[in-house]
Amino acid sequence: MKLTVFNGSPRGKKSNTTILLEHFLKGFMETEGNSYEFEYIVNKDEGKLIEMFKDASNVILAFPLYTGCMPGIVKSFIESLKPFRGKKDNPRIGFMVQGGLPESYQSRFVERYLEKLAKRLSCQYVGCIVKGGIEGTRMMPRFMTKKIFNYFYELGKVYGKSGKFDEMLLNRLAKPELLPAWRRLFYKFSRLTGMANIYWDRQLKENNAFEKRFDKPYIR
Amino acid sequence: MKITILNGNPDPDNQKFDDYLNNLIKLLELSDNSVVDFKLREMKIRHCRGCFGCWVKTPGQCIYKDDSHDICREYINSDFILFASPLVMGFTSAVLKIAMDKLIPVLHPYIELVDNKECHHEKRYDKEYPFIGLLIEREDDTNSEDIEIVSDIYVRFAIDFKTSLSFVKQTDIPVQEVSNEINCI
Repeated sequence: MKLTVFNGSPRGKKSNTTILLEHFLKGFMETEGNSYEFEYIVNKDEGKLIEMFKDASNVILAFPLYTGCMPGIVKSFIESLKPFRGKKDNPRIGFMVQGGLPESYQSRFVERYLEKLAKRLSCQYVGCIVKGGIEGTRMMPRFMTKKIFNYFYELGKVYGKSGKFDEMLLNRLAKPELLPAWRRLFYKFSRLTGMANIYWDRQLKENNAFEKRFDKPYIR
Repeated sequence: MKITILNGNPDPDNQKFDDYLNNLIKLLELSDNSVVDFKLREMKIRHCRGCFGCWVKTPGQCIYKDDSHDICREYINSDFILFASPLVMGFTSAVLKIAMDKLIPVLHPYIELVDNKECHHEKRYDKEYPFIGLLIEREDDTNSEDIEIVSDIYVRFAIDFKTSLSFVKQTDIPVQEVSNEINCI
């Protein structure tokens, strides 16, 4: 099968979305004869993206969660698809949403929008891969990221064969939907000790901005 | 009350929507509110690149000098924010979402548990964050499911931004009703 991937990350190449897609596509390519096209939405000519969508038979649109929803540039792309509403022969469409905050639950609201969007475009809806806690993968030990990446690989592999997202893999990958009590307790404790802020403090210090971290520049 | 309106109407030919907002502003000012309205489609706003510079380089400010600084300033000093937009493909406009993505400087990178349930970023400012409301114009194919989807996503935005969603209204009701609703907050 032939797949067209739209990467909606505003960070572009150096993004968590790109890393996850790479693992997915590695699995996808395990089936002989499969091929894919891959394009970033950010800074791309709308005409070219529309042309790609028109020619596609299978589409995946992937993006990070921004303020509980799709990033603005992804909404722009979605708006450019307006002419495809109700057309015949639109591609089958699946989505991938990854969030920085740890709970997959945070992405479920935009997931509903995406399912409705597929209907609005009269595209067959493949499903939505959802995963939270991805911003933290930069600090995770390798055995933990390996597990996550492997899910994306496996999802890609099944998709490459069947054109479907495997329900069981989707559910396992999405864990935790919400944080279990022990993780919430652990989090509260690590906040008390300042441990929870290490990720940000390190970056603040690297930029000589640590002392300014509580700045309130706009207050009247 | 100090009110800021983010007008996300992307289409200059959709005069009806802008007229509706202008009438609303007049009514709100008559009842002693001060209103700032941003016509987003005419502003220069670079989309958020997720660089986190506003959290770790120049805390509280986007590293790019664009009109989003004016929006953040009004946002954090307001009592109420009205997000206003026609629905486009089942959601409020991209122009509006691009502006909303650029509001994260008013938050802090540190994360807290909200209601002992979910993680969200902390406040940057020690004050009540403005209440928010949503005003939308229907599309031809808008149904109750669409309204529910959009409303739920704005409820999520409200949790992110330390407040609650006061109402969701559509432009097919008299302006007076929206104005009354805002005055009741």
